[in-house]
Amino acid sequence: MTSKPITSPVPVEWYPSLSVLMLSIGLVLTASFFIYEATSSKPSRSLSKEITIGVVASFFLGFGSLCLLLATGVYV
Amino acid sequence: MAASTSLRFAFVLFWISVLASTALSDLVISKIDRRVDLTSQIVRVVSTLKVENRGHDTVSEVLLPFPDIQAKNMAYLKSSYHEGKGKGKQSAISLPVTLVHPEGMPPELTFYSVSLPRGLGKGDSFTLDVLTVFAHSLKPFPAEITQADAQLVVYQDSAYYISPYEVKVQTLAVRLPSGRVESYTKYPSTKLVDSEIKYGPFENLPPFSYIPIAVHFESSYPFVVVQELEREIEISHWGNVQITEHYNLVHGGAHIKGGFSRIDYQSRPPMRGESSIRHLIARLPPRAHSVYYRDEIGNISTSHLWANSKMTHFEIEPRYPLFGGWRTSFTIGYGLPLRDFLFESDGKRFLNTTFGCPINEIIIDHLIVKVVLPEGSKEISATVPFITNQWQEVKYSHLDIVGRPVIVLEKTNVVPEHNMHFQVYYKFNNLALLMEPFLLISGFFFLFIACIVYMHTDMSISKSSASYLAKQQLDEVRATVQQVQNIINRVLSVHNKLETSLRDLSRTGDVQSCKAVRKAADGLFKDLAKELKPLLGFLQSSPQASQIWPKVEELVAKEKEMQEKLMAKHSTVVDSFEKKHAKRDVENRVASIEQKLAILRQEVDELLDTIDDF
Repeated sequence: MTSKPITSPVPVEWYPSLSVLMLSIGLVLTASFFIYEATSSKPSRSLSKEITIGVVASFFLGFGSLCLLLATGVYV
Repeated sequence: MAASTSLRFAFVLFWISVLASTALSDLVISKIDRRVDLTSQIVRVVSTLKVENRGHDTVSEVLLPFPDIQAKNMAYLKSSYHEGKGKGKQSAISLPVTLVHPEGMPPELTFYSVSLPRGLGKGDSFTLDVLTVFAHSLKPFPAEITQADAQLVVYQDSAYYISPYEVKVQTLAVRLPSGRVESYTKYPSTKLVDSEIKYGPFENLPPFSYIPIAVHFESSYPFVVVQELEREIEISHWGNVQITEHYNLVHGGAHIKGGFSRIDYQSRPPMRGESSIRHLIARLPPRAHSVYYRDEIGNISTSHLWANSKMTHFEIEPRYPLFGGWRTSFTIGYGLPLRDFLFESDGKRFLNTTFGCPINEIIIDHLIVKVVLPEGSKEISATVPFITNQWQEVKYSHLDIVGRPVIVLEKTNVVPEHNMHFQVYYKFNNLALLMEPFLLISGFFFLFIACIVYMHTDMSISKSSASYLAKQQLDEVRATVQQVQNIINRVLSVHNKLETSLRDLSRTGDVQSCKAVRKAADGLFKDLAKELKPLLGFLQSSPQASQIWPKVEELVAKEKEMQEKLMAKHSTVVDSFEKKHAKRDVENRVASIEQKLAILRQEVDELLDTIDDF
């Protein structure tokens, strides 16, 4: 009965770097979202563009905050 | 008190001998050597039995009886034998042991049956080893001592091995910790040599024969008894196994009477309280990280940790030395890498870890081991090498939706021999791991949606107030201005195209394409002017645009001027090219136009910037 050890999907040493990278990308996208909201006027706003930026930004922010939790030792 | 217990012991054995009917006469124990180890607080008895089959039928089991008083304290029983003889002796192979209740046996005896690997035929003999571990078998006597006294304990047993079979030859050796031996039961041929009491050899004893012995000796081994230990093993598939242990410790030796003097404790050896608990040594698995030691007050700093490749050595000192009857409680926690403990085989994952606690030579009265598996684990089962109570519960922890399944194993009377590996099997789908980041992502996305909804909805209370209407008109003006800006930018790009065509002309000499570009530009200019007209009309009429209107007007005028000049320049250059004038000549002609164009361009750019800020 061969049993092979299970490891984490991502090497544990990468968690801090990965969290910094993903969070910075996520924050840049959040900033672009809010800039778009502030500078566009009502008729020229497009819902699809807003939602796309929102989805991509929340994706990166979500993974970044997960990696941040794991890097600090809260193994969720 | 010790007298009454020894009396009771003798009474029990008396009844055994009186009621002993014909015992099983098939087997005969030809030789038994018992070695009792009393050096620590845990009593270990190793017996080597050689059984011989004097009957006709094949015998497949050997009965091991224990008096109930002893069986109550028995924590661990293991039987094994060695294959081969002498040089060819291999390592011990364990034999299955079960609790049985045979009939016709004297009362107050607990029987265990060892199943032999092969039936023992007529005249055959077989050697087996039995290890029994007793907890709480050493009674401190006197029960209360002062800080300076030495701790004396009493051990009671029978010098003859109580057995349902006839015993031919038997010996008993009791090993004591080095120290004073207060008294011990002396029978003829009893020797005390080097802290070891040897009884026997006794020969040809009938079944169920006994003689009580009691040994009263000094033991300064710290009697660490954990009344309640709760171990929580939390598995996270992101790469960590976190173990948290809550201890409730008590000193199980003689209680202290009189006061406790710290000065005396730290000074002369006799007053130091040798049997007090000063420190505990724990052996954690290798590569343990984030080790902490705290209690309800906070962190306890009196600890030492050093790690090597085989184990992590962790020495902890309680906040105060423990004397008899004193208690303390603390928590130890550490993290371990996942790959040492979690494995996968046949589609199921399993956790392979030790059951008992890492501190050596302690007795645990009540041990609870909780294995917390990640959310989404199914078909959970545990395989433990000994009997435990098992049940499942649910724990809510970080980022949990339905909670994590927990399998709880409970056992009483645990000794270090129980520190064996056990496995917990479960099934887990890797996609369930993504639920946690998905939860975080949806949380952040909800914030973005809330922002979008806020921007899109109109939450003003009165829709006909002057300020609301004014704001609406301002929005419209702004939108129109942005559209104007857009068109002007497109016009400027057409200008750029014209300029590039001129440069291409000087490079390639292709007049036709240049003329084509000119034509296209003309068309575009007309279209854009048409687009611009209604927007400009709206801006002119709107009262809110009164501020920005002059600038827009200026911009459009300047742009028109630029257009004209650029067209003039273009036609001049093309003309000169066709007429094959010298280059310097061409440049002279368009010089003035170039200058004016440059100034106009600058002004247009400035105006665009100011409009941008509106």
